Amino acid sequence: MTGLSIRDARKSFGATEVLKGVSIDVADGEFTVIVGPSGCGKSTLLRSVAGLEELTSGHIVIGDRDVTDLAPSERGIAMVFQSYALYPHLSVYENMAFGLRIAKADKDAIDTAVRRAATILNIEALLERKPAALSGGQRQRVAIGRAIVRQPQIFLFDEPLSNLDADLRVRMRYEFAELHRKLGTTTLYVTHDQVEAMTLADRIVLLRDGRIEQTGSPRELYERPANIFVAQFLGTPRMNIVAATAAEDGRAALANGLRIALPPLAKPLAVGTPLSIGIRPDDIAIGEAPDALTFSIRFIERLGGLATVHLGGREGDVMLACQLRDDGRFDEGDRIHATFPPALLHLFDADDQRLGKIGE
Amino acid sequence: MILRRWSVTLLAALVALLTIAPLLWMVSVSLMARGEAAQFPPPLWPASPTLENYRELFGNFGVGRFLFNSILVSTLATALALLFTIPAGYAFAKLRFKGRDAIFRMLIAALVVPGQIGMLPLFLELKAMGLVNSYAGALVPWLAGIFGIFLVRQYCLSIPDEMLEAARIDGATETQILRRIVLPILTPIIVTLALYVFLSSWNDFMWPLIILADQQLYTLPVALAANSRQNVQDYEIMMAGAVVTTLPVLILFLALQRYYLSGLLTGSVKG
Repeated sequence: MTGLSIRDARKSFGATEVLKGVSIDVADGEFTVIVGPSGCGKSTLLRSVAGLEELTSGHIVIGDRDVTDLAPSERGIAMVFQSYALYPHLSVYENMAFGLRIAKADKDAIDTAVRRAATILNIEALLERKPAALSGGQRQRVAIGRAIVRQPQIFLFDEPLSNLDADLRVRMRYEFAELHRKLGTTTLYVTHDQVEAMTLADRIVLLRDGRIEQTGSPRELYERPANIFVAQFLGTPRMNIVAATAAEDGRAALANGLRIALPPLAKPLAVGTPLSIGIRPDDIAIGEAPDALTFSIRFIERLGGLATVHLGGREGDVMLACQLRDDGRFDEGDRIHATFPPALLHLFDADDQRLGKIGE
Repeated sequence: MILRRWSVTLLAALVALLTIAPLLWMVSVSLMARGEAAQFPPPLWPASPTLENYRELFGNFGVGRFLFNSILVSTLATALALLFTIPAGYAFAKLRFKGRDAIFRMLIAALVVPGQIGMLPLFLELKAMGLVNSYAGALVPWLAGIFGIFLVRQYCLSIPDEMLEAARIDGATETQILRRIVLPILTPIIVTLALYVFLSSWNDFMWPLIILADQQLYTLPVALAANSRQNVQDYEIMMAGAVVTTLPVLILFLALQRYYLSGLLTGSVKG
């Protein structure tokens, strides 16, 4: 097995630059998820690795081979498409055998490879069927089977779960993780869904507008987002961001005059410096406390066990989302006390970049 | 409700009868004795059915030769048309090359020019190439019909790119993709196109009349027309000739009708 290295990849379509210098190193056997909003270039990046798009400049190295100029079939990759892209006139067996047949592999070798993949994916019973007779989840499995049969060095997945319903998506997510544990093949997985990214990835690459915003383990990105975009992209509901200015005694003044305590920063801020304070909806502490601020509840989204409570400040200029256990204690219009534990705050400068806390 | 369904069936049957009546009478007359159909009022059935007209047709008139010419020209026309039209339509739909859309727009624009206008220039061209009065000359207009290219292209557009990319990743060359992935998917439209070209070239009268001077090379419609000038009064022989002309394509069409219809329908539903 082998790692993958993308070096300063750039790609333009006409005058539009879609990839603006992307470098990623995927270690051998690692499950890397490229995530980002639509139009960020993540699919183009994946297609470039597959060889379906030609990079304007930059290199793609698989193992120790520079594959930048090689045809897709020579790169040692297999790809699973969002639409599955099964061959409709061929049986499941022939769909999975197609690549080996093209490579003129030995009949027995083909049979062994196809049956092995079918066993891994639990689709032995479907081998004689045509794709039209399969459900969405089964088609997805066949598409993955076709990839496994090729015994690739790298698996490429292009939004493979987007076409499935929510229930199946959760199950297939689990199966992807299971499959990766079983096969241990280096994997590059593209999605716009942050939940898939958080649950599947060893490492997340967050892409925006053709550039990498941050790379790291899901935990790293969640706990120490490099900027406001990353902070708000991961986690639902989104992180609350409130504009403030640095005040005396390690505090910050919000726009409406309220003051809250800040965590100790690696580089202390001069009084009056503008900054943004971020806090995740489940980090807000509710209840009486010496430091507590008073809010009124504007709106409650009840999700069953949990509720997202939208809080308004005194003058209504600060809106915060707060995630609580829904035990019927709260109602719209109620007044509520909230504290912001300094250790759980995220601070960003005027350019939206993270301000390091002491110890980070 | 039942009444309405029956009335629809009855109406359809009536229309079908009106359509098929001339064909039936054609067969009937072809089996009549010489001069029988010229009586007034013309009889519906032959008094004593005879194959004399067919004997005359295949014997003295030598229709076997023309039948052979027609089968040869139409079969070759169909094969060549498929050979050139399918790859062209596929390329216009799925391959990236410079000027693709501009060339395609030009082709489509050329569709509005009636074929008859092109006949004289085409004739002169073929004359220069020395193809006048040959089977090859009769085949040329069928080689790459714009309508066929258009048909194949439109159908190819409905094939998702990802499927072709999957095949590319699987290591298939462009020719293998065309042969092993695209062609099987195109089957209905290929049958439709083949039938269309075969029927059109089989029934074509104008072009073979212009390009073929030698009687030995005549296709059925041209030969029958030439014959009708000589035997104006012989309805029975004429009808026997018409049967020989119509029957093969009728059988072909009925045999392939299922695919033909599914081709037309798929195109429209997916389009």
